[in-house]
Amino acid sequence: MHKFLKTLIPFDIAKGMLITGKHFSKVFFSANRRKVPFHVVSEYPEVPAKMQPRFRGRLQLLRDEAGEIKCVCCMACEKICPTQVITIESDKKEVRKTKLPTRYDFEMERCIFCEFCVESCGFDSIILNHQFELAVYNREDMSIAMDGKFQNMFGISPVAKYSVADEKD
Amino acid sequence: MFKNEEMEINLGPQHPSTHGVLRVKLRLDGETIKHCRPMIGYLHRGVEKICENKTYFQGQIWTDRMDYCSAIANNLGWAEANEKLFGITVPRRAQYIRTMLNEFNRLASHLVWLATHALDIGAMTVFLYTFREREDILDINEAFCGSRLTTTALRIGGLREDLPPGFEKMVQKFLAKFPACLEEYENLLSENRIWKKRTVGVAKLNAEDAIALGVTGPMLRAAGVPYDIRKAFPYAAYAEMDFEIPTRTEADTYARYLVRLAEMRQSARIIQQCMDGMPEGPVMAKVPKILKAEVNEVYHATEAPKGEIGYYLVGEKGNPNPYRFHVRAPGFINLQSLPKMVEGSLLADIVAAIGTLDIVLGEIDR
Ligand code: SF4
Ligand code: SF4
Repeated sequence: MHKFLKTLIPFDIAKGMLITGKHFSKVFFSANRRKVPFHVVSEYPEVPAKMQPRFRGRLQLLRDEAGEIKCVCCMACEKICPTQVITIESDKKEVRKTKLPTRYDFEMERCIFCEFCVESCGFDSIILNHQFELAVYNREDMSIAMDGKFQNMFGISPVAKYSVADEKD
Repeated sequence: MFKNEEMEINLGPQHPSTHGVLRVKLRLDGETIKHCRPMIGYLHRGVEKICENKTYFQGQIWTDRMDYCSAIANNLGWAEANEKLFGITVPRRAQYIRTMLNEFNRLASHLVWLATHALDIGAMTVFLYTFREREDILDINEAFCGSRLTTTALRIGGLREDLPPGFEKMVQKFLAKFPACLEEYENLLSENRIWKKRTVGVAKLNAEDAIALGVTGPMLRAAGVPYDIRKAFPYAAYAEMDFEIPTRTEADTYARYLVRLAEMRQSARIIQQCMDGMPEGPVMAKVPKILKAEVNEVYHATEAPKGEIGYYLVGEKGNPNPYRFHVRAPGFINLQSLPKMVEGSLLADIVAAIGTLDIVLGEIDR
């Protein structure tokens, strides 16, 4: 009898429906209220996305306080990069003791954002910034140089309107 | 060659239920499968060969991209194989953090499995709920290493960085809510008559066949063999953890579902123990800048979410790259049991069988 009732009335299905119903009503009755604890949808393009402090975005060259390029062309990053996307050429400049890069090319389309380059740099002259909007219309724009017209190695790209643009800690 | 009533069809490689690019060649008699051959290789990238042309350090990023659902488990096996080869001892704190991350990874992988497996069989809701929890795990990954899926979190000799501030709070928040979420999945599926009709007694693989085929992981444990490398050959900090190996004896799709759910409970337990007993200290051992092996070979196996993942490394004197790099991928070997499971059963069952194998084609084809 018990088994017959169980087959007749789908208790098991009802149990599942109860859960979905619970979640549905929870969202339904609080859809337009702000700051509900289970509000999982972020209003991304309007509100800039907040990345974790360690987020690995695009490679960026840093300058020191005086505005000088920090990189001293030790080639460590070029050597360690597993996909070989960094190309550095250097020139001995008279203005300072260490070498200065004349060319620092970064082919972003092949970068896998592994952070090996940042780790290998003993001079803290590169970081992976928080920029994650990396789509561009032309493939050439993916190859980033020090003096690129569209985007260069020093700043945030113009495409990254909604990434959080502050510095990494 | 063909009898009149037999028909040959291809399942995949673009079929959504084949989890990527698996192609299965089937010979059908009506709706009964007479003959089944999985065809692989559509995602072959030559990971092993590439790694032989890269230094020991650089090889890590390719291990990330083999089984992209469980990158940290792959990294862990790779890192430990290298540490074995070069005789590096990892600090205790790093071991604990690795263990914890590995278990988080196991959770994430099993959640993806549950989501896709249920979706294949027709339960859409579970997919939405499991991905909600997986999102939290990916956030934890992101907080730890800055990336969500292909993490590159570990290094030979330890970890790149210590835990970030606020990490413990994230973990505790996750652990507090996770058991209730697991219960939700169980309420949705465990007694559901549709789910049971599609899984109970489907795609059976008994212990004898499983061992003969080299099947490992939850597939083997659902057949009643309590073999888990975490217990059998403890690595990382698993020797100090208190956990059980869930097993079932039914050896069908439903049993594998129960085993994996029970495994998730144990993973949460291990994470809690790691957080409680986290020792202080450094997270990185002293590792030379360029690793060069004497002629030496190692095989190191770890328990990935899908089964035993083993790395075979041969070093060469004076060579900064490994001479040979071979991966024993669990999915590759588990997939060989597919004909055994489905031959003689109905066509609809093959979808359940592929789902229960928990395969990721990136790892099978490498
Ligand atoms: S993040 Fe990795 S792939 Fe990208 S430039 Fe740095 S080392 Fe190369
Ligand atoms: S490792 Fe740092 S200092 Fe050396 S070349 Fe690269 S960016 Fe410049």
